[in-house]
Amino acid sequence: MRTFLLFLVGVLGIAFAPLAFAAEGHAVAAPAGHAEHAEKEGIPLYAAPVAKFGPLVLTNSMVITWAVAILLIIGAQLAMRNVRMVPQGAQNFWEWLVEGLDDFLGGIMGADLARKTFWFFATLFILVLATNWAGLIPGVGSIGWGHPDENGHFHHFTTSLLRGANADLNMTLAMSLVFFACWIVWALQANGPGGFVMHIFGPKGDTTGIMKWGMIVVFLAVGVLEVVSIAFRPVSLSFRLYGNIFAGENMLETMATLVPGFGWLIPIPFYFMELLVGMVQALVFMLLTAVFTLLICSHDEEHAHEPAHGHAGEHKH
Amino acid sequence: MLIPMLAELTGNVHVAAAAAGAAIGVGMIGMRASEAVGRNPGAATKILVQAILSTAFAEGIVFFAIFLVK
Repeated sequence: MRTFLLFLVGVLGIAFAPLAFAAEGHAVAAPAGHAEHAEKEGIPLYAAPVAKFGPLVLTNSMVITWAVAILLIIGAQLAMRNVRMVPQGAQNFWEWLVEGLDDFLGGIMGADLARKTFWFFATLFILVLATNWAGLIPGVGSIGWGHPDENGHFHHFTTSLLRGANADLNMTLAMSLVFFACWIVWALQANGPGGFVMHIFGPKGDTTGIMKWGMIVVFLAVGVLEVVSIAFRPVSLSFRLYGNIFAGENMLETMATLVPGFGWLIPIPFYFMELLVGMVQALVFMLLTAVFTLLICSHDEEHAHEPAHGHAGEHKH
Repeated sequence: MLIPMLAELTGNVHVAAAAAGAAIGVGMIGMRASEAVGRNPGAATKILVQAILSTAFAEGIVFFAIFLVK
């Protein structure tokens, strides 16, 4: 039950994280998006604002993010209202999901680390999966409003009411940055400040004598490379998810207009592919963040602290 | 014949190159992963994790090419 509360808090935290970024990103992003949309068909690169509350801008991708998050929270609360020893129905579903994720993460990260970080990764997976699939519901992205041309005809609309949440870079970047903050906290907790620096810059392996001094220089250079690669992780995480989901939405739109008269038929196989992509990308996002956490939190020297069913191969890096 | 054709190429050639490379990479990962599962079906889950991670890294290049290279 405690895990579940943590999970709910996590969902809330992540769902509301894009708020600041969306408001900030809008100022530069929106005008470019409008200009671009005027000349070319297809889905605009940026989420469009649907409402403004003073300095805060509510974009169409935030609408769907919050709707999904609220549905998840209500669904979980309803399912766990009267908990039974032998689960049934909705409770069974949520227990299956949470237990499956727990097993999966435990297998990758080891039981201790998985228990500590489960709330974050399970939340990420469930939220990303739910928002990806919610973006595929017919009507998302195709219901909205537009402006008539000079003759009073509507050709295509300019603002959609809903937009796939992860087809907005603000959302994916917010999730990666939240992960990055958690990653730093977990790394400091696992290694301590000195150990954290040593983990990145310190020499690995057991060389002695003059070779050891050479190794220190080599691993200092390796540490610089590692810092660059770590700093690039939020960028690659956010662009990977955004790119996949945005490209998927664009592809569905293209397929619907490819052959006149068959717009209802051609996108159907691609809908199934997008279901798969949404699942795989949620898995990838969780897996990558989990592996990054494992890499920094695992200890090379203290073999006594390794979990019983340890993963020898993953400890060398 | 080939050289003038190549010289006429315009557009986002870097995206095409990245997509081709990523496709080759993803294909090779899939091939080896299937082989590995065939040899050791018991390790299917572990292989899936490795394969998905490598696939994600391979296809990430395309998104760098699309969004970051100008």
